[in-house]
Amino acid sequence: MGDTIRVAVAEDSAILRDGLVQLLADRGFEITAAVSDPDGLRESIEKDLPDVAVVDIRMPPTFTDEGLRAAIELRRLHPTLGILLFSQYIETRYAAELLADDAAGIGYLLKDRVADVSDFVEALVRVASGGTALDPEVVTQLLGASRKIDSLSGMSAREREVLSLMAEGRSNAAIATTLVFSEGAVEKHVTNIFTKLDLPVSQSDHRRVLAVLRFLDS
Amino acid sequence: MLSEARLNQMRHFGRMAWREPFSRRTWHELGFFAVSTMLTAVGFDFIAITMGLGVALTVTFIGLVLVAASLRGARGLGRFHRVLARNLIDEIIEEPIPFSARAGFFGWLQSALRDRVGWRSVAYCVIKVPLSVFGVWFAFSVWVDAFFCLTYPLWGGGAARPQGFGVVVNLFAPGFLSVQSSGFIHGLFIFLSGGLLLLLAPWPMRGVVFADRRLMRALLGPDPVTARVRSLEVARAQTVDASAATLRRIERDLHDGTQAQLVALAMRLGQAKEKLNEPGELDIDEVRRLVNDAHGGAKEAIVELRDLARGIHPPVLDTGLEGALSTLAARSTVPVELTVSLEERPTHAIEAIAYFCVAELLANVAQHANASRASVRCTQHGKWLRVVVRDDGSGGAQPALVGSASSGLRGLIDRVQSVDGTLEINSPSGGPTIMTIDLPLHA
Repeated sequence: MGDTIRVAVAEDSAILRDGLVQLLADRGFEITAAVSDPDGLRESIEKDLPDVAVVDIRMPPTFTDEGLRAAIELRRLHPTLGILLFSQYIETRYAAELLADDAAGIGYLLKDRVADVSDFVEALVRVASGGTALDPEVVTQLLGASRKIDSLSGMSAREREVLSLMAEGRSNAAIATTLVFSEGAVEKHVTNIFTKLDLPVSQSDHRRVLAVLRFLDS
Repeated sequence: MLSEARLNQMRHFGRMAWREPFSRRTWHELGFFAVSTMLTAVGFDFIAITMGLGVALTVTFIGLVLVAASLRGARGLGRFHRVLARNLIDEIIEEPIPFSARAGFFGWLQSALRDRVGWRSVAYCVIKVPLSVFGVWFAFSVWVDAFFCLTYPLWGGGAARPQGFGVVVNLFAPGFLSVQSSGFIHGLFIFLSGGLLLLLAPWPMRGVVFADRRLMRALLGPDPVTARVRSLEVARAQTVDASAATLRRIERDLHDGTQAQLVALAMRLGQAKEKLNEPGELDIDEVRRLVNDAHGGAKEAIVELRDLARGIHPPVLDTGLEGALSTLAARSTVPVELTVSLEERPTHAIEAIAYFCVAELLANVAQHANASRASVRCTQHGKWLRVVVRDDGSGGAQPALVGSASSGLRGLIDRVQSVDGTLEINSPSGGPTIMTIDLPLHA
């Protein structure tokens, strides 16, 4: 994606919305819309389809999960639209719903993550270009709640780290940078992990996210 | 000389006495008495047999089961009586609490044996027996006598005449009906006696039914203990709901306010940090702007957090009601005159309720009442705390449905009732508004 990434922002808190818009503009994104409720988001997307929408889960009128509902609906209408859900809490149930069909172009992050601007921007770019960005908290909760303790306990600490990063949606290159490995070493770990979990090795990053998440959740 | 008014009154009674034998109420009472007496006869037999056998067999397990079955049956009889009373004599007896059995057969047995409603129904069925006997002898018989006297000319004192029943007639004039005579005068006399009895007949019956009404109200409705338990349950449910609603409100305030502020703050600081770390020339103005915004946001977050914490529990309340209320009065936009005279200090929970009531009421005064002055009086009456909030505004305050402007008032009433207190609203349209809150000193 060589061009500027086009972003729609749906967030009911004015402070956060303005802050996000300002931050994204500063980082060279093009803001197509900044709205405060799901209806506004639907309307703006009908008018001008962005690459990715940053959507707050809790929005008016009921302040429960209308952001999530709107996101799922928008995804059905526009399969190419990236969705980055944005929330102050992590609910694994929401993650599961969101990833029910596909993990491509889906993100789910805690709002706190904007504090680390570069990481946040990187995640947004990943989602906009069809990748996945899951909050480390989601992955931790899934790992913690997983019943596949036997398979997981057979892994080394390093392998678990790689597994977590992989589940967040990171590429081998990104994992290598984060853990200060060579890419070759990461690849070796990934192959080991898939063998231990008895899963087929997937090529694309978002497919393997889905594979790992399904494994943890089943 | 009789006065005009007295005369009118007598006419009124005369008309009433004349009409009463044919009124709907009279016949419904008669019908009720007849059906409920038959029901009592059957019900008493049932209870006597099952209870008698049950008690006799108490040593065996069957006895307990019989007693339990008897109690369940008595409950049914009670329900039948309530339906009769509602449909025939417009006596509406509130339904007692439905029977709820614990799990399993032994749970059922235990619940049935402890069922207060069942035992009270048994008491009703038993006490109803003498009342019914008395009613038949004293009230129903007047109707029977009236019937036979009025129809005397038809059977003319012949062989088919009834001998045994005319209790009243036989009591006052033994052999009255059985006098062998076919004289016209005698027949007319009996017929006229029947007319007189017919005029009298509604009243003894009304007395008996009245006694039955009292008995049903006392024994077939919810009993005082159960009613108290129920009102406490309602109050507890309200308290639980209210505290859940409070928690939800606090969460919302935190989520939308402080938490969002802090995220925005972290976002700006994050941006500033990255700008400072960027290679190349530093855009010092941009960084200054970000830090300025962050600083402003931090101060706002502090204020919000402080307000929120004060809304949960105002620290000034720890020093007592007077200090807390004077802070409220001072903060009010409408001038408030405050008087507090308490001999002893209420418990913390009561102080908090009084405080939040006054806070809410003063906020209402400031927002809706168009008042120029308000007063808050806090006095002690024995074991009760009375708070009177008064304003000279436009009045018309009433607890409305949830979601409207005065749903706050509804919330206050719930809160006050949760400790058996009362909130009395006196707010005629045009004002003034006087709100009186009575709370127990110790809850």
